[in-house]
Amino acid sequence: MLLDFSQLGWWRIALCAVAGVAVVFLLAPLCLLIALSFDSSQWLQFPPPGWTLQWYREVLADPNWLNSFLTSVELGIVVTLASVFLGLLAGFALARGNFPGREMLRGFFLTPMIMPSIVLGIALYATFLRLHLAGTFLGFVLAHLVLALPFSIVAITSALEQTDKSLEDAAMLCGASLWEARVRVILPAIRHGIFSAAIFSFLTSWDEVVVAIFMASPGLQTLPVRMLGEVRQNLSPDIAVVSSLLVLGTILLMGLTALFNKDSKR
Amino acid sequence: MSGAYLELRNLRKEFGDFVAINNISLRIQKGEFITFLGPSGSGKSTTLYAIAGFIEPNAGDVLLNGRSLVRVSPNHRDIGMVFQRYTLFPHLTVAENIAFPLRVRRRPKAEIEAKVKEMLDLVHLTPMRDRKPAQLSGGQQQRVALARALAYDPQILLMDEPLSALDKKLREDIQAEIERIHLETGVTIIYVTHDQEEALRLSDRIVLFNHGGIEQVGTGEDLYDHPVSTFTAGFIGNSNLIDVHLQSGFPHLPDGTKLYNYQPNREGAKRLMLRPEDLFLAKEGIPVQITGRTYLGDVIAYMVRTGWGQELSVRTQRQDSNLQAYVGDTVCVGFNHEKAYIIPE
Ligand SMILES: Nc1ncnc2c1ncn2[C@@H]1O[C@H](COP(=O)(O)OP(=O)(O)OP(=O)(O)O)[C@@H](O)[C@H]1O
Ligand SMILES: [Mg+2]
Repeated sequence: MLLDFSQLGWWRIALCAVAGVAVVFLLAPLCLLIALSFDSSQWLQFPPPGWTLQWYREVLADPNWLNSFLTSVELGIVVTLASVFLGLLAGFALARGNFPGREMLRGFFLTPMIMPSIVLGIALYATFLRLHLAGTFLGFVLAHLVLALPFSIVAITSALEQTDKSLEDAAMLCGASLWEARVRVILPAIRHGIFSAAIFSFLTSWDEVVVAIFMASPGLQTLPVRMLGEVRQNLSPDIAVVSSLLVLGTILLMGLTALFNKDSKR
Repeated sequence: MSGAYLELRNLRKEFGDFVAINNISLRIQKGEFITFLGPSGSGKSTTLYAIAGFIEPNAGDVLLNGRSLVRVSPNHRDIGMVFQRYTLFPHLTVAENIAFPLRVRRRPKAEIEAKVKEMLDLVHLTPMRDRKPAQLSGGQQQRVALARALAYDPQILLMDEPLSALDKKLREDIQAEIERIHLETGVTIIYVTHDQEEALRLSDRIVLFNHGGIEQVGTGEDLYDHPVSTFTAGFIGNSNLIDVHLQSGFPHLPDGTKLYNYQPNREGAKRLMLRPEDLFLAKEGIPVQITGRTYLGDVIAYMVRTGWGQELSVRTQRQDSNLQAYVGDTVCVGFNHEKAYIIPE
């Protein structure tokens, strides 16, 4: 191949250097933040004058942080379940269906991906005000579902398209009804795609902040919304702690994904 | 009408304005091994899928034991099928795949266990029972698919080019296994292939497809010795086709030679079929010039050109050829006039 790594000669060194700089550039702020979360000075001095776990104790004991954390988790789980379920229905329609306007529908389903989220946020807020959904959990779920669904649909549709339809036919000839065939044979065959859909849906909701600002009410705040509010008041060690915990959570989630992929590639 | 187990009656399927199956009628007996043979795109798979229930015909009927299947959905037809592509369920083991149709039918556990054992035995895959499909070779996968398709004792077994992805040696092994299984189980089989050798080897009767219609139905010998059309003559085996003129019942070659093979009630221009192995080099007959000679061990294959400019192919057994001839030689080609076969179309 033209761009075979082993044939690049001294370009290899340059390439590695650029990659190294990029990694440092991307990781350095995160490392700084994690370091600050253990910083004994409450004014976020760097380098830290000493190390402490005090801020962690404070954050974990603060019911406000805990509340918004639980709100985010609950919201993420409900959005994920709904997104995967609807994604499956849409995926079967797009991958197996044969109806006029199918390609248009496929394109339409993806529009939330390219729509500026501020526009979506305003539009949803205006609509939900009229429907008395603004500031409710249901409104929050619906708003995040709009954002999460395209990822879920893409992942599931492409998994379905890679699965031979004869698999479904074979299951039906074995005596399974169409939906029995899909649940017992096709779902396990596309578990990969379903898992990606779930991860993407959860993450979409988990770190979404623009639309969430419009949906939030004083009693209903997701973690990112609360963090943003906190940062606007003052840059406290609390923020560094919460951020570090989020980084830890993300790493765990990625590890889980890698484990799952390794398992199902066998 | 009695006797037919599975019957296709004026079956027709169109895709848009393309006619994929054109009013096919066919009667199949219980326990028969039928192959659908024909060139690519001739409608074999479409017909099979209509029998399985995945394609709804535009017109016509599929009858099993005299009852129409058209309104019956595939999962209630009690038909087994082995597909061209591998369709084992990837998340289930070999044994679980074979058990799947029985589990769906909610059969008792002990019965399922016994049947799985029997099927694994039938396809000689007992040692593989706990493997996943990805850990099997293509041939093994198709044998498991066969076991799965037979596990619920279906009335009919359909196979759509199940061996086309396998190499020749493996294909022959599994062909033998399919023959044995047909004998042991007595199941009615419809087998799609575009390999004529496979069709001749396996089947009781061959259904030859052409452009969405049935060209001819018959045993391999029927199709080989008595093709009803130029298409059949050309598709099954090799053949030399010579335009002849029938005069007072006797065919005449293009150069005027009269053949002593009386064809009653026939007049006009016809086609004569001569298989390469029915021709031999001789001192008298049709004068020809040798344009090619290939030595194939037991057989010598010649290409010869006739006086009217047609190339014929001649295959002689080595020990029969008392006449040695080489490229450029002028000899004669003989054949048994009584065996000369005029294609009726
Ligand atoms: N779903 C479909 N939509 C449109 N045309 C189709 C469809 N299925 C089959 N056809 C057409 O119908 C014709 C017959 O197809 P079929 O699959 O029955 O051929 P076949 O005899 O099985 O050929 P092969 O040996 O290549 O498998 C082909 O010309 C094919 O293009
Ligand atoms: Mg086919």
